[in-house]
Amino acid sequence: MPRWAMVIDLDKCVACQGCSIACRQENNTPAVGPDQAAMGRALRWNDVVPLPLNAEEVSEISGEHATATVRYLTRPCMHCDNPPCIKVCPVQATYVDEEGLVRQDYNRCIGCRFCTVACPYGVRYFNWEEPPWSPELARHINPDYVSENGSLEGPAVRPKGVVEKCTFCIHRLQKARQQAETEGREFRAEDYRPACVETCTAQARFFGDMEDPNSTVSYLARSTRAFRILEEVGTHPKVIYLREG
Amino acid sequence: MLKITRRDFLKATGGLTVTAAVSTALSRPGRKLAQIHAAVPGYDMVAEEHIVPSVCLLCPSGCGMWGRVVDGRLVKLEGSPLHPINLGALCPKGQAAPELLYNPDRIQGPLRRVGERGAGQWEPINWETALSLVAQRLADVRDSGHPERFAFLYGETRGQMRGLISYFSQAIGSPNAVSHDSLNIEAGKLAHQLTQGIYDLLAYDLEKTNHVLSFGASLLEAGRSVQRFASGYAYMRRGRPYRGKVVIVDPRLGVSGAKADEWIPIRPGTDAALALGMAHVIISSGLVDRDFVENYAFGYEDWEDEAGVQHQGFKSLVLENYDPETTAQITGVPAGTIARLAGEFGTNRPSVAVMPGKGGLLNGSVNGLYTAMAIHALNALVGSLETPGGVLVQRYPTCPGWPELPADPVAAEGRQAERVDGAGSVFPLARHAYQAVPDRIREGYPVDVLFLYDANPMFECPNGGARWAEAFNQVDFIVSFSSFLDETAEHADLILPDHTFLERWQDDFIEGLGYPGVALRQPVVEPVHNTRNTGDVLIDLAHRLGGPVAAAFPWAGFPELLKWRLQDVGASWETLAELGLWIVPPDQVPNRGSDPWLSQVVGRDRQNTPQDGYFDFFSRELQCLLQTVDEATLQQLGIQARGDEVFLPHYEPVNYQGDEDEYPFVLNVVTLMSLGPYTANANMPTLQEISGMVVNETWDSWLEMSPESAHRLGLHDKDPVWVESPFGKARTKVRLVSGLRSDVVNLPYNQGHRAVGRWAKDRGVNGLELMGPGTEPLTGLAAFTNTRVKVYRAS
Repeated sequence: MPRWAMVIDLDKCVACQGCSIACRQENNTPAVGPDQAAMGRALRWNDVVPLPLNAEEVSEISGEHATATVRYLTRPCMHCDNPPCIKVCPVQATYVDEEGLVRQDYNRCIGCRFCTVACPYGVRYFNWEEPPWSPELARHINPDYVSENGSLEGPAVRPKGVVEKCTFCIHRLQKARQQAETEGREFRAEDYRPACVETCTAQARFFGDMEDPNSTVSYLARSTRAFRILEEVGTHPKVIYLREG
Repeated sequence: MLKITRRDFLKATGGLTVTAAVSTALSRPGRKLAQIHAAVPGYDMVAEEHIVPSVCLLCPSGCGMWGRVVDGRLVKLEGSPLHPINLGALCPKGQAAPELLYNPDRIQGPLRRVGERGAGQWEPINWETALSLVAQRLADVRDSGHPERFAFLYGETRGQMRGLISYFSQAIGSPNAVSHDSLNIEAGKLAHQLTQGIYDLLAYDLEKTNHVLSFGASLLEAGRSVQRFASGYAYMRRGRPYRGKVVIVDPRLGVSGAKADEWIPIRPGTDAALALGMAHVIISSGLVDRDFVENYAFGYEDWEDEAGVQHQGFKSLVLENYDPETTAQITGVPAGTIARLAGEFGTNRPSVAVMPGKGGLLNGSVNGLYTAMAIHALNALVGSLETPGGVLVQRYPTCPGWPELPADPVAAEGRQAERVDGAGSVFPLARHAYQAVPDRIREGYPVDVLFLYDANPMFECPNGGARWAEAFNQVDFIVSFSSFLDETAEHADLILPDHTFLERWQDDFIEGLGYPGVALRQPVVEPVHNTRNTGDVLIDLAHRLGGPVAAAFPWAGFPELLKWRLQDVGASWETLAELGLWIVPPDQVPNRGSDPWLSQVVGRDRQNTPQDGYFDFFSRELQCLLQTVDEATLQQLGIQARGDEVFLPHYEPVNYQGDEDEYPFVLNVVTLMSLGPYTANANMPTLQEISGMVVNETWDSWLEMSPESAHRLGLHDKDPVWVESPFGKARTKVRLVSGLRSDVVNLPYNQGHRAVGRWAKDRGVNGLELMGPGTEPLTGLAAFTNTRVKVYRAS
């Protein structure tokens, strides 16, 4: 059974935000508009954030501009092996599946938002409103979805009132498996790439099976540059970063 | 239908029995999801699906893309893995392109103005009426005997479109095809022309480069070909065993500085001094490529002309005037740092000094050109021209030449007229002076018919709006090909909307790698609206004019013209359409002094001086042009140098508008990766929502200021502020950023639109409106960093 993981090389990443928009287009996350965005309600499954985040922290930086350091971090769902979000869900709407993906069952979700608070990475987003598709823009909605237990996942348009998050483009996994079946061959881990990995302008993202010790992600995860965010809280993220320099 | 929301449901059940709530919730919203999906027009799980290759046109990179089309709808774009620029990648703009195609604010068919100009009252008309109207106007201009009163302003033109616009204008009889290049890339092109004899931007072989020194606009955000730089950069860092070093010279840290190994916060407008200070160290330390400067360069050493007059060479100029201590005073970069940078640049070869292409901070006043020359001189000093890992000349596929224009006395006379922008006359070195057009019209250059293709000068020129509006009052008939009612299109009399790039046939030369290649833009979907390819419209108009103009256009339409021009690129039309591109990588790099060196690398585009394969440290081309360098000429041209220095790369202080004591900050308008350089990007909602990534803003402008300056002014993060220059003021909010000189403030470009569409309009401020409307007298370049501002709290 594969265990899907992503490696992001920050030394290659150019913080272009291609991943952010590729994700939105692939997974039908519309722009929520200025008012909602100002309230922090934009749906940012895959965001690029500058560090330090805190403006106060910035203003305390001393007068020497030449010593400034800013880092940029692209941040999908970490698909933790030990995700805090699933423990607080009162209705078991979120769970880790057998391939390590942290899934969200929109049918079960009651919109209590416990998980959005519990997630230390802040990658879970609540739909405060109906998705604001104008009829014209709705024409580019990606028709893909994954259907399981009567629930539509993947890019399926989410209704108001549920929490949503990065799925590692789970529909691409299903499509890749179907494709392999149609072609009468075995499914290979390389057949499956999330949209952000495919579009990465600096080819800084790698995706694959962590169970396979010879996969690129396994190899890179053993690099001395490898780190995970908030490793110390015990979430065991399956998104691994390689630091700059 | 009974409508019940989750919240209603939870209220009704009162949350008493969680299990019941869960089991009921299981069925209801599931149906709701399905309903939403069924509501998507044409949605079907077994939909017909195919992939169409095309080329992006949301920035000048020209990335190959594959469109995923489901039931005739474009649902997703991926980078074409075959395209050598983007290698399968696509940046946020390219990814968001479906929002351009299906944008609700697109112009849906030809429009004719009915109210006052600029009042926004339009009536839809059909193409036939619209085209005969335009044809009549063009015929009138020609009949009047002054075809030069037709002018064509254009922005980004790809492949054959630039040639077609110029050819069309000439066929009508006008020299007035004016490109917006003078707003951005012209400084680099002219500098390469004056030194290397190549009137073009150059390519950088980053994959094999060990050391990159980038000047001007942010390499990874605002370069001419950002995606090319991103691909090359990533490979240089981690695609090979030896990790290359990147140094960013920019008053603003930005994304490029944050990602670089070293950031040099230089005083704005002093890049030339830094480059020459480095040249001083490279020369005095013996790090120059001796073979190159002795055998393939002109004017490195002092020289004597045919009349026996002694002239100064680059070496003695630099050694006399630009030692590290002096340049440290000018640039604010410590002398030790300059020396170290020079040492690294000279020894860690192959090294390149990059001008990302967009002028950015390079265009202050007259120094834009000399700065670009000084930067390129660094490449020559270390022998990086046309070497692996160095600077490469961009080659293009061979195309058959444009046909000879038929005999046409009216047109022939019109073509000899002075240009509307003053290029070649008022601005002797200029090929284009886009931003000077309104002033020239107001000064009395008559323009009867004006075409605007991918041009929004009212927004994109420094201090543009009012000047253009006034100039437009003196133009009889204005035709815009815009897809959106942008600031300038609002002043048109007629709008003939073009397809978006996803709906049209167009070719696109692959630029940025050196070797020739062409990619093909083809309709990914059927046109969404009643729009037409401007290429087709121009050919149609020519046919309607009849006589010699029609005879000059033997093609039925633009695709036929493309097929004819692309017949020799090395691939059949069918192959081009199937793969989306064709490239011809070189088998070897030309040796110095070889035939290809002479014909392709150095001197190719020299007009007045010998194509002898010498790189000009001392620009003979410029010397030819400015035969008489008397005091009056130099003063008129705003050149502060005297004597031979005029023809050599040197530093000219920027002539700032606004007194330093009253206006303490230099205003820097920065291009963002998200909103990019083109107007339409501002009306794409997901791009707006990610636009302020560097400071966590969305959907708005912000002013970047260093914390120390803010403390000095008593400003706090997110305070509302006025930014005021001698030319105007704008209200926005201040954001404190680390990584910015305390004498510079930044405003992001492409906000502050007064038109375009629902997502772009009335959002933030346009920093260019605060800038002084300057044109460099020698080159016709827009002065982009010539304005000081003050900042104070808004109540």
